[in-house]
Amino acid sequence: MAGSETVIQEYPDIAIRLNVNGRDYVVTVKPYERLIDVLRYKLGFTSVKEGCGRGECGACVVLMDGKLVPSCLVLAIRANGSKIVTLEGLAPEGKLHAIQKAFLDTLGVQCGFCFPGVIIATKYLLDRVSDPSDEDIKNYLEGQLCRCGSYLRFIKAVKLAVKYIKEGKIYFDLKEVKG
Amino acid sequence: MRGWGIQRFNVYIPSSLEDALKVLSEKGSEVTLLAGGTDVLVLARTNIVKLKLVLDLWPLRKELSYVKKEDGYIKIGALTTIDEIYNSFLTKDRRYYGFHDLYWNFGTPYLRNLATAGGNIGTAHPLSDLSILLLTLGAEVKLTSISGERWVPLEKMFLDIRRLNRRPDEMITEIRFRETPENSSTALMKLDRRKGHAMGYIVTAAYMALEGDTIANVRIAFDSTGKPYPGRAYKTEEFLRGKELSLETIREAYNVLEKEMTRISDYRAPAEYRVDLSKVLMKRCLLLIKSRIEGGV
Amino acid sequence: MAQVPEYVRIVEEVFERYRGKPFVYVGTYRQRWDAVAKVTGKALFTTDFLKFYKNVVWVHSVRTKYAHAIIKNIDVSRAAKYPGVLRVVTAKDIPGVNDVGYVIPDQPLLATKKARYIGEIIALVIAEDPYVAREAGDLIHVDYEPLPVYTDPLQIVDLDTLKEKPHTRIHEERDSDIVAHFKIRAGDVEKALKEADVIVENKYRTPMQEHAYMEPEAAVAIPEQDGGVTVITSTQCPFDARKAIARVLNMPQSMVRVIAPFLGGGFGGKEDVANEIGSKAALATYLTGRPAVAIHTREESIIGHSKRHPMVTWYRHAAKKDGTLLSVEANIVLDTGAYASLGPFVAWRATVHATGPYRVRNARIDTIAVYTNTVYSGAFRGFGNPQVAFAVERQMDILAEELGIDPVDLRLKNILRAGDRTVHGQLLTEEHGVGIEEAIKKAVEAADWYNKRRLYTRQTGPIRKGIGIALMYHGNSIGVEGADYSSATIIINRDGSITFRTGLTDMGQGAVMGLVMIAAEILGAPPEWFRVELPDTSSTPDAGPTVASRSTVMGGNATLVAAYKLRKRLNEVASTILGCSPDDIEIKAPDVYCRSDPSRKTTWNEVVEQSFWLGVPLQEFGYFRAPKARWDEETGQGEPYITYTFGAIVSEISVDIETGQVSVDKIITAYDIGKVINPIGAELHAEGGSIQGMGYALMEEIIHDINGVVRNNNLSTYYIPTIKDAPEIIPLWVEAGYKRGPFGAKGLGEPSIVAIAPSIVNAVSHALGIRFNEIPIPPHKIYLALKREGKTRL
Repeated sequence: MAGSETVIQEYPDIAIRLNVNGRDYVVTVKPYERLIDVLRYKLGFTSVKEGCGRGECGACVVLMDGKLVPSCLVLAIRANGSKIVTLEGLAPEGKLHAIQKAFLDTLGVQCGFCFPGVIIATKYLLDRVSDPSDEDIKNYLEGQLCRCGSYLRFIKAVKLAVKYIKEGKIYFDLKEVKG
Repeated sequence: MRGWGIQRFNVYIPSSLEDALKVLSEKGSEVTLLAGGTDVLVLARTNIVKLKLVLDLWPLRKELSYVKKEDGYIKIGALTTIDEIYNSFLTKDRRYYGFHDLYWNFGTPYLRNLATAGGNIGTAHPLSDLSILLLTLGAEVKLTSISGERWVPLEKMFLDIRRLNRRPDEMITEIRFRETPENSSTALMKLDRRKGHAMGYIVTAAYMALEGDTIANVRIAFDSTGKPYPGRAYKTEEFLRGKELSLETIREAYNVLEKEMTRISDYRAPAEYRVDLSKVLMKRCLLLIKSRIEGGV
Repeated sequence: MAQVPEYVRIVEEVFERYRGKPFVYVGTYRQRWDAVAKVTGKALFTTDFLKFYKNVVWVHSVRTKYAHAIIKNIDVSRAAKYPGVLRVVTAKDIPGVNDVGYVIPDQPLLATKKARYIGEIIALVIAEDPYVAREAGDLIHVDYEPLPVYTDPLQIVDLDTLKEKPHTRIHEERDSDIVAHFKIRAGDVEKALKEADVIVENKYRTPMQEHAYMEPEAAVAIPEQDGGVTVITSTQCPFDARKAIARVLNMPQSMVRVIAPFLGGGFGGKEDVANEIGSKAALATYLTGRPAVAIHTREESIIGHSKRHPMVTWYRHAAKKDGTLLSVEANIVLDTGAYASLGPFVAWRATVHATGPYRVRNARIDTIAVYTNTVYSGAFRGFGNPQVAFAVERQMDILAEELGIDPVDLRLKNILRAGDRTVHGQLLTEEHGVGIEEAIKKAVEAADWYNKRRLYTRQTGPIRKGIGIALMYHGNSIGVEGADYSSATIIINRDGSITFRTGLTDMGQGAVMGLVMIAAEILGAPPEWFRVELPDTSSTPDAGPTVASRSTVMGGNATLVAAYKLRKRLNEVASTILGCSPDDIEIKAPDVYCRSDPSRKTTWNEVVEQSFWLGVPLQEFGYFRAPKARWDEETGQGEPYITYTFGAIVSEISVDIETGQVSVDKIITAYDIGKVINPIGAELHAEGGSIQGMGYALMEEIIHDINGVVRNNNLSTYYIPTIKDAPEIIPLWVEAGYKRGPFGAKGLGEPSIVAIAPSIVNAVSHALGIRFNEIPIPPHKIYLALKREGKTRL
């Protein structure tokens, strides 16, 4: 503290390659930067929310090479060369994924801050367990904190999403949804 | 524009294990090892850990991520994630159903994709679920440096909270334990104020082999038995070994456990509760193992 | 008598006209206006706006090391020279008033002489990036003289006398560390005690609860070309934030524009802290001329924003053998922490509700709010009521036990009904809507109460079930706390689309959807045609704060008034097109026709277009002000609130007696909220309030160590319920209409948490036969209580 000399560290710029939602990007980052900051502020994928920065709330989860990870605990350089999926990339432009449609149809939207994480975590769940039980749903969503308390709706939504997917309805036209 | 990871630091990205060990041998004392990052990057936020040079171990996963059977041992690469352990043969083998418990009790799904076996040991924190389970399997830890390697029993790895029996030039590269007999199994349990996303008031794991109703062998570990890191209840194990497994035997073992265990009181719970909960979860683990040996899940 | 304002007449007329009639939009299940944006990730929260701005500076708050200390000197010289630092700001750099206190001016934005809690801000570092700002912050050197730290209000005051104990004054600028004192004096308590057959006397404690909204506080400030500043910030009260920021910057309010984008939850927590964080960002913009951002980390959020007041209280209930309540006495101490925040108002609301929804003729209530060195407490869903409701509803259960009367029967005997007077002497009539009896009956029937209560009384085995009830009432809107007005603007655009503006925020609760449905019903146009514009002090009207469960009632009335006036004009225009009388016009957009002859019809768009040609304005501003509340400071007599929401909660739980772990199996909520405007919104409140209330009962508490340091400043040690903890929740409704609410509606935002905790604790006490008078009751407390009573064996 007082008296000690201020040592100024140098931190190099590092170019990394990311594929986010199907598109390739080359981004320059600092070694200490986090994936969440690159996604949000450098690439504009602001569906990725920061609720704690500590891997405790689930708001920032993304799929990294198919694995659900908290983007606040992944250094950007570590994501180099990986494929990232955020909520923005769940469905093609103008479409809604069955999971999104199911979360709409079960009317559980409140503040919505946790929703991107919840929906991505649901995608991860359904990638691994195609027909989850209530127990499975709770197991896979236990890290997705929601303070408005929409939990019971999440369970309904996941089940509805499974139904849509079983019926072959993977994507819905956003225009129809908006009415 | 950048967000807020809190600390600035430099990162060395090794091209191979050898490269990583070289960096460790040269700059070991100023290097922080980053395995999954689920602990270090959180500690860095509150300045508990001051990061200067971070050695990112993630690139070593191509060499150090595996679960395999070899020479009568189960071997787990240090950079195997909790998720990868779950998806290995271990959770399909009744003897190792404890790894099933581990997976579903370990943090949250997204942490299980980052947290690694070596990292869980390396943090040297009481609430390290995998370490607790591995203690019951008599695991050993391989420490590798540029000058060679050595095996250290897991129970000798912890020196204090967040202090590991590791030289600055070493890193954990593998964990192994001997295959356990057919009539054995494992279990892990924790309990907390809430059911999901729980770190646990306490964490308990056990390994037990039965011959008929007799406890042929047993190892029981807790997040703490007195020291601020995971440890085994040796005297309780000794008491149980050779006895017939029954509720009465377990209840008698409570007295032994109570004597050998020292618990802390803190804002999360008083020591008295932690001790009693240790008894209950020990009981439940042992009974669960029995049912697993008998064919249950 | 003063003349009844036009807006009140409109609300009453609409209430009468629609009563018992079928609704087209109100009461239907509809997708929220913001739902699509939220499931596609397009909804923008405060920090998301950063992606649109360049050249941004970051603001880091340097906080105290001591929870109570005199600040002797602040040396920022090294920090100011740190590369990347633009400016280090201390109190002397503030152009206006260094205060962000909400109710009283006791809270500096930047501390000068003293630190009073661990989140206290000493200085701000403005830097090119947040890492630099934080590193520089570590170089600020402060000379402190540590003072004794008080973390329990009973270190400050005595519970029996409510008098101050000798201690080092926390607010040395005031003559006492007691911030507020409210009283109720009704009837003759001494006489009642003499007549009593049973007297129940207990002490209760409730914890400091953290809002734990998923979005931590943030603000983005942008310089305007005329020297003004625009602040995008997570606030429930954009107009209050504007007022605070303008004072700090010494600018007229007109020069400060506050925008409240989507909020990731609020629950009362985003009231005063928004003044603070908004001011920090605005100050940085003012000083640097650049866009500025302030983001609280989760750890900072937990130590730096207001909490639910911890309460310590003593209660004495007296009753006759038949269960009739004779008197209630209470000494209530609320710990408001380092600053008053909304503490005085919280203490007032706690006082008003201190006897519960019962006929109480004799009462002596004293409530004080006191300073300590804990994180300051302020507004949190329920606002003082959950604390007293816990004590009152535990008292009622204990009284029932002492009397040998079923808890439901005891309550039925004493509840308020139309024609009764509240403890404040307020006469409740049919016009208020008093639906608590019906609520109890619905909840009790749905729960199969009597059967289960009997069934669970004698159990053996490791898992014990219990069932408990708790009642609540909750005064709507802000009563005597402030100017109780609201407003909304509706604009019908030339293409027939509709713009809806209000300064009320949607922090997630969905109230604005209810307002849209009200407007839709009156106008005859579907809610989907409305575009809601987010609160912006430069465009949306000042609608008062988004607090106190007032959006649906107060904002709803303002909306109703605006829509009513527009509808009247539309009817007149349609009448000139169709030739039938304005009263005969039916609008079911897109169709507009004569009710007497539906074949005479035109379209919504035609009516709108004609209005423009005929010079009929299609913009309307609606305003509503609540009838003035009355409150006598000495006796607590008057009419504190315009009306009350009532509720009955039945909870069913199971306890693992070997570990003390409670599972909440089911919560049945029956609320009388007058007309249910937006059923899905109401259900989500019943669910969300239940889950938050469950956290309050079982797991949540902010813990300070003896040095005033918060031990659990993150989301893995501050426990909130997860999806695995959520019980089955069955919401039921009673619609005892309130004559001066929109279509009879009352508020639900806060009521939905008030009686959850006592219903759960009553159920646990029932299951175990052990009285729990403190919350939370986490497993270790339950287990150790069982162990002490020899009721468990491992």
